[in-house]
Amino acid sequence: MITVRDLHKEYLVSEKGKGLGGTLKSLFRNEKKIIGAVNGLDFHVNKGEIVGFIGPNGSGKSTTIKMMTGILTPTSGEVLIDGRNIARYRKETVRKIGVVFGQRTQLNWDLRLEETFELLRRIYQIEKKDYLDILEVMDSILGIGELLDKPVRQMSLGQRVKGDLTAAMLHSPKVLFLDEPTIGLDAGSKYALRKFIKEINTIRGTTVILTTHDLGDIQELCERLIIINNGVMMDDGNLSEIVERIAPYRTLTVEYYDSIVPTHPKAEILSAADNVVRYKFMKRELTAARLISDLSSLHPIRDVGIEEAGIDDIIRIAYAKTVQS
Amino acid sequence: MFSSSFRKYLFICKTRIIRSFTYRFDVFGNILMQTIVMVTTAFFWKALFQDETFRNGITADNMMTYTIMSSVLSVLFTTGVERRIQESVEKGSIAIDLMRPVNVFGMFFAEDLGNLIALLFQNLLPILLLGSLLIKVPTIVSVSAIPMFAVSVILSMAINWLTAAIFGMWAFTAISMDALFQVKKHLIRLLSGSIIPIWFFPKWLAGILNALPFVYIYQLPLDIYIGSASNEEIQGRMLIQLIWVLILAALFYLFSKKSLKKVLVQGG
Ligand SMILES: Nc1ncnc2c1ncn2[C@@H]1O[C@H](COP(=O)(O)OP(=O)(O)OP(=O)(O)O)[C@@H](O)[C@H]1O
Ligand SMILES: [Mg+2]
Repeated sequence: MITVRDLHKEYLVSEKGKGLGGTLKSLFRNEKKIIGAVNGLDFHVNKGEIVGFIGPNGSGKSTTIKMMTGILTPTSGEVLIDGRNIARYRKETVRKIGVVFGQRTQLNWDLRLEETFELLRRIYQIEKKDYLDILEVMDSILGIGELLDKPVRQMSLGQRVKGDLTAAMLHSPKVLFLDEPTIGLDAGSKYALRKFIKEINTIRGTTVILTTHDLGDIQELCERLIIINNGVMMDDGNLSEIVERIAPYRTLTVEYYDSIVPTHPKAEILSAADNVVRYKFMKRELTAARLISDLSSLHPIRDVGIEEAGIDDIIRIAYAKTVQS
Repeated sequence: MFSSSFRKYLFICKTRIIRSFTYRFDVFGNILMQTIVMVTTAFFWKALFQDETFRNGITADNMMTYTIMSSVLSVLFTTGVERRIQESVEKGSIAIDLMRPVNVFGMFFAEDLGNLIALLFQNLLPILLLGSLLIKVPTIVSVSAIPMFAVSVILSMAINWLTAAIFGMWAFTAISMDALFQVKKHLIRLLSGSIIPIWFFPKWLAGILNALPFVYIYQLPLDIYIGSASNEEIQGRMLIQLIWVLILAALFYLFSKKSLKKVLVQGG
């Protein structure tokens, strides 16, 4: 569906002089600095996948999305959508994709929502019947119907994002790109958006690629994660598989009857306070049941609790690892 | 019969016309300014000429027609493409333009055309009317000159729009080109014969200007309108005008592909 091959993007940042003189001078000769925002990405996304594209601020996610959507031309390398190079055949290829940027809108500020949709209907040459069908689907998932008459300038952020999602789906794209779609949304709107993504993925088979800094989005939506930093791929795999690899441990919290700290050869003690001791242990080496039974044979136990490594731990570790390397 | 791909540009154009009528508030200021400049210039020529005739038989009356028609043409030569590109790059909304299955320059052109159609009613007609009332009725030299005038105005509009679009392409790769666009605007006004016909310029300067595309924007159609040149001369100059359209179209085609590859998108 989507193939990214040795993708690079360099930004030329010019230190330009002020005023007319500076402008004129910079036309001919200027001090330029090259910033490598994306430095050789390779990956493939199959039809029907939901891929979380994550990485710290400034790691090149948005730049990559812009190249995958034909907005920016790669410095080198290529992006193939359905086998077509999007930089080369932008006009034809963008029909197959939908794009939503959480931080900007494609809706026309001066028009009512429905008028922008009508403009898009003409631009994408969508049959009236298909258009009405899609609107109905969108209404059932997002409740877009009641917003159609509203001028975009009067919409709240949450309403606007719903409008943008609908706008991106009007031409039934095979792939949907979402760059930080949940940014600034409240819990209810986030829930609606995640539900929307899951539904279009299952019902329509839409492939989804999204960037986000929201751990909830990742946990709920992404079967697969691509982690990048400094424009380089750091990790690519199933969420559970990455968790297994990066954080293959659990924590066991044990409450004893007395203030004692029993040890176990295969478990590390994280903290001990009052009667409560926290142990960290590797899933591979030890089962929780075994640890509990070993400990209880040493001392009577009053209560236990088991925690998996959280998605936030995973992300923190993955990002930290990438900074070192 | 329009092809279906052509229809989407038609719709963009239509949307723009409606928008211009709904949201344009600066119409009156614009008409007022244009009228003041037009009337002042007309009476300046009147005072200068008195009852004399210039060497190619031009009278004060001709100059007044020239001035009114120059103002009228200036409405037709209104382009938004440079500002449009500049603003989209500044705001980063160029990303939205590029993610749609349209030829962006086709879209810019359709938008300019829509604006222009609105301007015909909002600016061109009022100015023509005010000019006729306050100065004189600007009649064309002869009915037989009408077709030539029309053709050359269309070619002028092509030169004007292509020049604007080519200049606008600079803005794809740099943030602020405003200063440059201003310089270009004033240069065109001066060098195109829009204010002062180039027959008033020294011979050598007029020679240079004749080699540049700008005089083919204002001077040529205006010469046709007031009949200040012979038919053979006009035909020769229209040929040059056509050649400029072709040259600029070729440059436009060449640069538009390249410039889009260098588009800069501001912001996340
Ligand atoms: N228009 C631009 N001109 C110059 N440099 C840019 C431009 N856009 C992005 N960059 C630089 O490229 C790098 C990657 O930016 P990008 O926006 O792709 O990051 P990101 O992963 O989306 O970050 P975030 O999580 O903050 O959205 C950054 O160092 C940024 O400063
Ligand atoms: Mg970003």
